[in-house]
Amino acid sequence: MTILSINQLSKHYGRIHAVDGLSLTVEEGNIFGILGPNGSGKTTTLGMILNIIFPDSGTYDWFEGRFGNNPRRHIGALLETPNFYPYLSALDNLKIVAHVRKLKDPDFDGILELVNLKGREHDLFRTYSFGMKQRLAIASAMLGDPDVLIFDEPTNGLDPQGIAEVRETILEIANRGKTILMASHILDEVEKICTHVAILKKGRLLATGQVGAILSDEQWIEVEATERNKLKALLANIPELKSVTEKDRFLLVTTQPDFQAATLNQLAFQQGILLTHLVSRSKSLESEFLEITKEDLV
Amino acid sequence: MFYLLQLEWLKQRKNRSFLMLGALYFILLPCSLLIAKSIQQWPPPINTSDTFFRFPDVFIYLGYVGNWLTFLLLGFLSVLFITQEFSSRTFRQNVITGLTRADMFWSKVYFMTAVSLAATLYYGLVAMVLGVIHSDALYTSVIMKHIDYIPRFFVMCMGYMSVGLLLGVWIRRTGFALFSYFSYALFIEPILRWGVHQNLFKHQSMHYYPMNAFEDLAPVPFSEMTKGFEKEFGFQFFLSPQQAMITSVIYIALFLVATYLLITRRDL
Repeated sequence: MTILSINQLSKHYGRIHAVDGLSLTVEEGNIFGILGPNGSGKTTTLGMILNIIFPDSGTYDWFEGRFGNNPRRHIGALLETPNFYPYLSALDNLKIVAHVRKLKDPDFDGILELVNLKGREHDLFRTYSFGMKQRLAIASAMLGDPDVLIFDEPTNGLDPQGIAEVRETILEIANRGKTILMASHILDEVEKICTHVAILKKGRLLATGQVGAILSDEQWIEVEATERNKLKALLANIPELKSVTEKDRFLLVTTQPDFQAATLNQLAFQQGILLTHLVSRSKSLESEFLEITKEDLV
Repeated sequence: MFYLLQLEWLKQRKNRSFLMLGALYFILLPCSLLIAKSIQQWPPPINTSDTFFRFPDVFIYLGYVGNWLTFLLLGFLSVLFITQEFSSRTFRQNVITGLTRADMFWSKVYFMTAVSLAATLYYGLVAMVLGVIHSDALYTSVIMKHIDYIPRFFVMCMGYMSVGLLLGVWIRRTGFALFSYFSYALFIEPILRWGVHQNLFKHQSMHYYPMNAFEDLAPVPFSEMTKGFEKEFGFQFFLSPQQAMITSVIYIALFLVATYLLITRRDL
């Protein structure tokens, strides 16, 4: 089932186009990352599909329209900051969430356990550390076991241990077969957690697809030999190589991640080809991301 | 309706500002009037404070005390219980979690109505108790003479709270919304009425401003002092209860419609 389809969604603030003609589709079971630098329109997009911000134009459709125009009780979402009543305890805050969602018998204990807040549930929200607030927000999003979860920069402002905990929690949720939509400006995070990704820049969609296809972690090898034609013939017969491109000074080869440059050297030597140049490097995802977002928009 | 009221109760039952304002109202309503007992000498034509506590005038005097208290306390509360939702961003979180914007509007209106109802019932109760204690003889006709103060008091509460709600939704920031509420009632509207309107046309229409209409539902009891005004201007100093009632209900409806439009049309 298609969980969410966004069609030509736009929103501008004054002359700034926060989101500009965005179209996306999220399928059931996707862990969908919306990746982009700060100010690229991620939160505005999430705000619009959660009915917090009115779009200027465009439409979106949740669950193929199955729950009418208020599907939000079936979505657990956390937008920007954890928002709770500061003068109430964590448990009282969760009770309000449960009431809003019309839950019959919510499992407060289980959910508090999951986010590691058991024992602190009677403390006032305002006494919580930022990491605890964030975890409570995840707990509240998960209350009632919604099929879709939305996280906006879930690890923002957390210390390394907090980041690891939150990521682990999200992966745990994903393993339960939930659909997750996550906005992030951290490439590493999207790459580690997500199955699908959409890259935004200045409100425009630059690329979308499976993480592997968009952000490939393939290796590059630059290779040159005294006899280039022989080398080319050899390369064509190695199955682990994905592509060979001729450059001026060398051949640029992309390989599968586990392929070693030493193997290539050995194979060439066995065939009596002497390499004059051999450089192996893995294209860093960070640089790839920067490359994609740097491309000038037409 | 019950679902939304319950939700509002979950939010407010441990809110210290709400509990404090409520407690203040419950304590101050009878106490403020009873202070009059400690003052022995009253200027004519009042002379003695005894009449404050007897039927039927106890409704009038307690009503005027309640007028100030509801203006201050309920007004404060109505601003607070909506701006708090904005400052802690729980308004948008509630919508994200599954309420509609209309739900949010109605939950506030129901709660405001419940608070007004509670304040009015307490007013009626205190008036009855004081009256029974202090009146020498109890005649139904005397007790009932000013019973219309009870519905008037309720509309007055709703009036003050609808202004607070509108300003809270419009301005969103607690401090600035409170400042606007009090400065509108205490300075802006009086200046508009007495400084501008009255100079342009000396007409009774100068009374048809929202705060004045709400106020005239339980007006200053010492109406003898306004005789001079009537002579000079040729119309009454106060709106009649009927005029005040109709004007107030129209304003409340307008303010609530404006609040609804703001809540349902603006980004959160």
